[in-house]
Formats: sequence, structure tokens, C-alpha cells
Amino acid sequence: MKRRNNNNNRQQSSGNFSDFEGQNVPVVRNVFFKRVRGCPLSDEGSPKIDYRDVEMLLKFVSERGRIMPSRITSVSAKMQRRLARAIKRARILALMPFVVQ
Amino acid sequence: MPLYESTFIVRQDMSPQDVEKIAEKISNLIKDKGGRTFKYELWGLRNLAYKLSKSRKGYYVMLNFFAEADFISELFREYKLNQDILRHLTITVEKLSKHPSPIAKRDDKVKVVELEKIPAQYLEAEIIKVADAA
Repeated sequence: MKRRNNNNNRQQSSGNFSDFEGQNVPVVRNVFFKRVRGCPLSDEGSPKIDYRDVEMLLKFVSERGRIMPSRITSVSAKMQRRLARAIKRARILALMPFVVQ
Repeated sequence: MPLYESTFIVRQDMSPQDVEKIAEKISNLIKDKGGRTFKYELWGLRNLAYKLSKSRKGYYVMLNFFAEADFISELFREYKLNQDILRHLTITVEKLSKHPSPIAKRDDKVKVVELEKIPAQYLEAEIIKVADAA
């Protein structure tokens, strides 16, 4: 899975502060960091969603065994629906747990 | 006639030979009703993710077959009556791939039995990786 790009070392936006010389200027920092691009399941070489492929499915499930929302995993809507269906089937077949205690 | 993929879990008290006999019995049942079984896979004894009928392990069997839609209710009845089968899941598939399932790929002890060759219309299109220009 792609790691999040945490822009902790972002440079502070350099504006024209000459008008405010001698005063305390509040610094504006960009709060919206970039999201990981692209659905990991939609590209050409990506793994096929299969309810039997437990190793792959476990990557999209939290530590508790819950399905992770697509805003975290950046999976496309279509693939997220397929993924959810596959995970639910794997749970029925006891290949994956419903809840991890 | 739709294409089905049926997976079921057998109790852990059985022996592997008995499990294979169950798979063959289901396969013969399909044939009697005018269907065709393409292949079945025996995934062996696996750990279950949760306790199922008070047991933590079970034998998994997966079948790919072709049958009348009416036959499915009879198949479910067979699964229900057979006390050795703990759980089952049957889904409709459009195309089959000639490769073994992901579980078979990861585990060497999985037995894949091909009964019939899958006709071309039911085979999934293979993604041929184009070799990079050197």
C-alpha cells in the first residue's frame, strides 16, 4: 500500500510581507496535504479482487477486521464495492474474521 | 446454463479420503442432473477464522461447474442434509480462469483435480504482458 505523503517539511508560503514590516504577521501554512493518488486496484498490474485471495484482502481491512473506508485507502468507488463484496464472502467462508478481539 | 463456483467446508473429524469422496459425490450429482463439473480443488485442512460448529479447523472444497439453474436448490438441499458439510457458498461466475485459485497458488498441498477441459467461451481472457522493448 502507498504511504501517505505527510508534508511536514513544507516551506512556509512566502508572500509579499513588505507591507507588514515591523508587525507580527500570522504565518499561513498549507493545511491540506496531498492525497495518495490513484486507486491501487484499478491499474493494469494490480491484483484481481477475489474472495479467496485472503492475503490481498487483509490489506484493506483494519486491525479489528473492519473494512477500511475508501477515503483512507483511496480505492475507487467501483473497486470498493467489489472489495466489500469479496470481503463479506470471505467472512462467510471463515477465511476472514468478522471481528478481531 | 450458468456457471457456478461452489465452496463448502467439511468437518475436521473426517479423513482426506472421505473429503474427496464427498467432492466426487457432489460432482456425480451434478452430472446426473445434466451438468458438467470442470474442476474441483481440495484446499485441505485449514484454520477457520472463527469457531464454526464448535470446531476451529475444516476441510475446504471448491467446485467449478456448469448446471441448470433449477439444480441449485437441489444442491443446497444436499448440503443441508449432509451433516458433514458445515457451511457452503455458491456464486455465479461469468468466466473461469485456467489458473488455480489464489489459495492453490500459495499452498503446495492443495490438490487441484481437473475433470473436464473448460471450453473457450468460459475461459477468462488472459492478460498477456507485452515484453518491454529492449
